[in-house]
Amino acid sequence: MTVLVGYVPSPLGEVALAAAVEQARFRDEPVLVVNTSRGDAYVDPRLAPEADLDRVVRELTAAGVPHSVRQLIRGRDAAEEIVEIAETEDVSLVVIGIRHRSPVGKLIMGSTAQQVLLDAPCPVLAVKAR
Amino acid sequence: MTTRPDRGGDPPPRPAAPGETGAAGAVPSIPEQPTAERPQPAAARPAPADVAPAVVTDDPADGERPATRPDRAQYGVCAFLALVGALVIVDATRIGHAVSSADPVGPKPVPILLGVLLLVIAAIYAVDVARGGTGEPEAGEDVDLSSPIDWRTLLLLIGAFLVNAVLIDRLGWVISGSLLFWGCAFALGNRHHVRNLLIAVALSLITFYTFAIGLGVNLPAGVLQGIL
Amino acid sequence: MDNLASLLDGFATVVTPMNLLIALLGVTIGTAVGVLPGIGPAMTVALLLPVTYGMEPAQAFIMFAGIFYGGMYGGSTTSILLNTPGESSSVITAIEGNRMARAGRAAQALATAAIGSFIAGTIGTLLLVLVAPPVVAFAVSLGAPDYFALMLLSFVAVTAVLGASRVRGFASLLIGLVIGIVGIDAVSGQQRLTFGVPLLADGIDVVVVAVGIFAVGEALWIAAHLRRRAAEVIGVGRPWMGRQDWKRSWKPWLRGTAYGFPFGALPAGGAEIPTFLSYATEKKLSKHPEEFGRGAIEGVAGPEAANNASAAGTLVPMLAIGLPTNATAAVMLAAFQQYGIQPGPLLFERESALVWTLIASLFVGNLLLLVLNLPLAPAWARLLRIPRPYLYAGILFFASMGAYAVNAQPFDLFLLLTLGLIGFGMRRFGLPILPLIVGVILGPRAELQGRRALQLSGGELHGLVGGWVSWLIYAVIAVVLLWPLLGRFVVRPLRGRLVTG
Repeated sequence: MTVLVGYVPSPLGEVALAAAVEQARFRDEPVLVVNTSRGDAYVDPRLAPEADLDRVVRELTAAGVPHSVRQLIRGRDAAEEIVEIAETEDVSLVVIGIRHRSPVGKLIMGSTAQQVLLDAPCPVLAVKAR
Repeated sequence: MTTRPDRGGDPPPRPAAPGETGAAGAVPSIPEQPTAERPQPAAARPAPADVAPAVVTDDPADGERPATRPDRAQYGVCAFLALVGALVIVDATRIGHAVSSADPVGPKPVPILLGVLLLVIAAIYAVDVARGGTGEPEAGEDVDLSSPIDWRTLLLLIGAFLVNAVLIDRLGWVISGSLLFWGCAFALGNRHHVRNLLIAVALSLITFYTFAIGLGVNLPAGVLQGIL
Repeated sequence: MDNLASLLDGFATVVTPMNLLIALLGVTIGTAVGVLPGIGPAMTVALLLPVTYGMEPAQAFIMFAGIFYGGMYGGSTTSILLNTPGESSSVITAIEGNRMARAGRAAQALATAAIGSFIAGTIGTLLLVLVAPPVVAFAVSLGAPDYFALMLLSFVAVTAVLGASRVRGFASLLIGLVIGIVGIDAVSGQQRLTFGVPLLADGIDVVVVAVGIFAVGEALWIAAHLRRRAAEVIGVGRPWMGRQDWKRSWKPWLRGTAYGFPFGALPAGGAEIPTFLSYATEKKLSKHPEEFGRGAIEGVAGPEAANNASAAGTLVPMLAIGLPTNATAAVMLAAFQQYGIQPGPLLFERESALVWTLIASLFVGNLLLLVLNLPLAPAWARLLRIPRPYLYAGILFFASMGAYAVNAQPFDLFLLLTLGLIGFGMRRFGLPILPLIVGVILGPRAELQGRRALQLSGGELHGLVGGWVSWLIYAVIAVVLLWPLLGRFVVRPLRGRLVTG
């Protein structure tokens, strides 16, 4: 079993990552860090730069948690990717960060968090940025 | 195996090779592109072995297509050129005798000349192809030549385009233009349907009113005549 | 100083609030599309042709001038930050500038590119003011045979000199010429290639051709090979330069300008060769040759200046003789025709106010660009967050709107799609685009001049040969056409003899 965390290079992503590490220790399971986006823009702030992923790996190694990191860019929404991994792989828990969205924002942009919460086949832990 | 794209930067459109420009001696050596200088720290991140290598990563040798297989589709271009040439000649022979003292040449010789030249070029082109000549597909900032032509996207785009062309006079620009934008965004892989529709309608309305008020050019209002 | 007075009049026209606003709009749009991947200045001018229908010609050209220079500014920003040169002329900037950016000197690279472009653009435009009137004076003295020869030279230059394959260049040119003859022949009133379709009787609108080939063709081509990955953009603050950077930049700026302008003004010069020449020169003259290839500021300053000066240079043949030497100039010529203005040497006489307004707006636009770009570079970089589907959907949207607005005929939309598919096929098979568009624009004029020349001789072919000018031009054409043979049978053996001897 694995703890899957949806990671973005932002304070929200860091909080989610920290929560995932905590859960992984508690459950004695490895962490799977997934950083994903459609990748259809030239510059995408949700995609972690190489250096950032290297840092995540270093931190996880230092924390002594078994881990793997995956960056997926194949033109699909983050929610779709995460739900699919949760469905097809042996995932015990999905950790995501959530933030407040206005109703209009939700209508226009859709909510990745909501889609993961509703569609994931396993429990989902949603954390907020501090 | 970590699945991550090669983000070292893409090779730019190839500058003309020395000799093509006529200033061969002066072309400096171009520094190497930083394509693969970063070692893949894959070992540091073992992924579960049962994960399918899912990501469609681009071939690092992007832009360099294997030159071994001749590009037979080029004969189609020759055929097209020859066809156009024949058509131009046939059309020109139909033109009546319209020579006058003010115009000793008349409208006929130029098309005939063009038609003949097209036939000649088609033949030379075919010879060039037979001898292994290929035209290099146009590179660009957003063009990924390592992937084959995505016919599905292309046909969907053409479909959206035709829908607009057929409906523009009946339904009006605001509706047909919205359909066009929405359809194109869908064809290109965007699945935020609600957001796309809002953007599409906003764009059509803005352009409709800008043209009507700012520029005095009226786009058709169609069925919304009287409402807009 | 007749011209100076005209130029000052031009400035007076530009500096009205409304026209300044339009100039600002032009440079903003130009920079934006320059930054955006996949949209070049030629495509932008083509897409904006319909928008300018409701404007005065002078205002339209103020806008085009802004787009023309703005596109190049924006292009260098993307080149430096993303290492993706949009055109072959910015390859060097992309390489050297991106190395600088990776080494943490993005601000300096952007600054030297922007200031260098400003200086080169300003000097280039000044040279245009000085060079164009004598060229016009000479061109006015030419007769129909000379013009016919000149246009033939233009055809041969864009097909045989630029581009890798002559066969493909000529194929593209011939398609353009055929598109150009569709419609009613102006002299005899006979229909040609209309196939009985009344909507084709007026010919195929140049705007529809330009939008179809540049915008629709390009968008379809990119969509079929859409890159699905994000690039790593290098963060940037406000561009600035230190003392040392200024000291190392100013000479390359001037030298780059000196290379760029003449090449731009030549019928087949282009912007590519001068950037390479400038890079080679700076590498040779630099006190820090070891930095080249690792981010030398001279390697950004010189080629960027050369690139912009060449853009100014292309305006000389365009305005003075009516010959386009690059795609953007070709589309701008189409814009002239849209307004019923015949390009050519008489332009300076008949539309003097318009031409000088255009030139004055080049100066103003250049200055606006500097002001706009130095502080706003980070904001421009944010444009790169637009998802690609919206970008290309938007291009097709605006292309359809523009093509429809020309005649309010849905027929034009089918024509647009056909031309777009031709443009797609040309990109697929490596046929160059420029010869086609030059063929469409110059073809009818060449036919007219040729027939006029033959009219004087009563249909005898010797009528195509006028004074010494046409002889000279035909000689140049012969050399250009026979160059591969000359290379094989004359130059190579000579070189071989020199080497062995």
